[in-house]
Amino acid sequence: MPHATPAVSTRGLSKSHGETVVLHPLSLDVPQGEVFGFLGHNGAGKTTTIRLLTTLLAPTSGSACVAGHDVTAEPLKLRAAIGYLPENVRLYDQFTARENLLFFARLSGVADPVDAVRETLEFLDITALADRRVGTFSKGMRQRVGLAQAILHDPEVLFLDEPTSGLDPMGVRQLRAVIEKLHGRGMTIFMNTHLLSEVARSCTSIGVLAHGRLVFNDSMQAVADRYDEVGLEELYAGVAAAGVAA
Amino acid sequence: MPELRPSLSGSLLTIALRDAREQARDRVLLWATLALVAAAAVSLVTGAIALHGDAATYAAARAQLLALGKDAAAIAAPEFYPLKLLRGTIEQIEIMGAVIALVAGYRAAAAERGRQTLALILTRPLPHWAYGLAKILGGAALAAVALALVLVATGLLLRLVSGIGLGFGDAGRLALTWAAGVFYLTALFTLGFGLSLWAKSPVSGLIYAFALWILVVLVAPQIGDTMDPDNQVAGGVFAQLSVPKAEQDRIKAGFAGYESFRNGIEVASVTKHFERFTFAVLGIKDTYTGAPLDKVLAEKRGDLLFLFLFSLGLGGVVLLKPINPDRLTKES
Repeated sequence: MPHATPAVSTRGLSKSHGETVVLHPLSLDVPQGEVFGFLGHNGAGKTTTIRLLTTLLAPTSGSACVAGHDVTAEPLKLRAAIGYLPENVRLYDQFTARENLLFFARLSGVADPVDAVRETLEFLDITALADRRVGTFSKGMRQRVGLAQAILHDPEVLFLDEPTSGLDPMGVRQLRAVIEKLHGRGMTIFMNTHLLSEVARSCTSIGVLAHGRLVFNDSMQAVADRYDEVGLEELYAGVAAAGVAA
Repeated sequence: MPELRPSLSGSLLTIALRDAREQARDRVLLWATLALVAAAAVSLVTGAIALHGDAATYAAARAQLLALGKDAAAIAAPEFYPLKLLRGTIEQIEIMGAVIALVAGYRAAAAERGRQTLALILTRPLPHWAYGLAKILGGAALAAVALALVLVATGLLLRLVSGIGLGFGDAGRLALTWAAGVFYLTALFTLGFGLSLWAKSPVSGLIYAFALWILVVLVAPQIGDTMDPDNQVAGGVFAQLSVPKAEQDRIKAGFAGYESFRNGIEVASVTKHFERFTFAVLGIKDTYTGAPLDKVLAEKRGDLLFLFLFSLGLGGVVLLKPINPDRLTKES
């Protein structure tokens, strides 16, 4: 059952660069404990939205709260409550996975960084990688260590920007399993993605962004109930095209 | 869930120490510092050879006078101030040290941008300006260690080539030189770091930093120097024309505005201030050779203050200017 306070809430949140509107006023609620799939074509404004919600960018107008904290009024409290995995993260090549994670654990203010890193490595089943230099890792291994740095402080809301980008099928499968485990722990996950198959398997609700406008937002259950016949791909194509026409 | 809030000092130390460890591991800075030591050592040895030449000439002349039964006091013994031999070391720090500091600043920003780790740090519960401060403190610490290495190595070499150990006073002068050098190199590190952090690509930032450095540090003082009419004739215009001092002052008074402008261009260079201060403290400039330290400091504290304020000002600009997240993923 969804909780009263949404994990992510935006009201008229927008971003412009000069005359160019990157994100039109966005009003969106993501309840706690959801795995929210944020779909959209390249340049739709998905990454901009995540950067606004993680306080990397300042909004042009509107407001947003994450884990109950306003992005502009309480950025430090907000950052303490979130985890973030950007697309194509490379981490510190010269350092081992453990050294990378200890660094981010200390910056996150974790009480016992050594313990937190050990537990996270075990949780993600990557203890064997702990003392190898990240520079020697494959894309998939790197992505898992990247995910580890995002969850080692047990955030309330986890932001993933195209987490499956560049992963092989096994990597995608492993990531899906981790998302399911995190969902099982009650973590809210906000995930930008292109992969409709991943959305269908992992997400509990979706939003579709087209040219900076939210053109669809509903639970996966509702999608299944109402659009069962057309399927997710057709639904996405339809709403995205309608968004472009609008 | 308890709110996570790392201490600011802890976060600064974490970032600065990580930078130092990374620099130590990839060894680029270590090799650059060793190259600086080698270049300084070459200058030192060259200076020592010249001094030995002067001493040998003096000894031969003295022996000749004594052999002729004349008074050897007729010729002055060459004065030996070991710290004067550090002229080449200071000049290497001015140029090579500056290049190393600019490149180190660029690397500190470029690596974080290319690896996306900047985005990971900026979404941690610490103010964004604290990240810049940590990087600058890390750069200052590296400058301090590298300069200490250069000065200790050349100090030891100085003892080897001169055969004279440095006294307590000399060590104090070297410490002041070290402090001025740390300010100087930190300022240039900050310039390289800031511009590489803000520019569209870090490499563009490095090019801007070099262009600015060459303009302010090398071109401007040269223009100021060239604009000085007294420098246009060997020995000075007034001296060549045998113009009396009173007349010189009267002529100069008529060009006070021009002289202020010319001097302003010349002293805009942070390198000039570093050089003026260290040349005076180490007695490299003849006017200050053998002068008591307190007298030198009273006269040259303005240069040290300029170095300090210049570093502080550049640091302030870097801390206050927001980081553009759209440029987080741009690689070098």
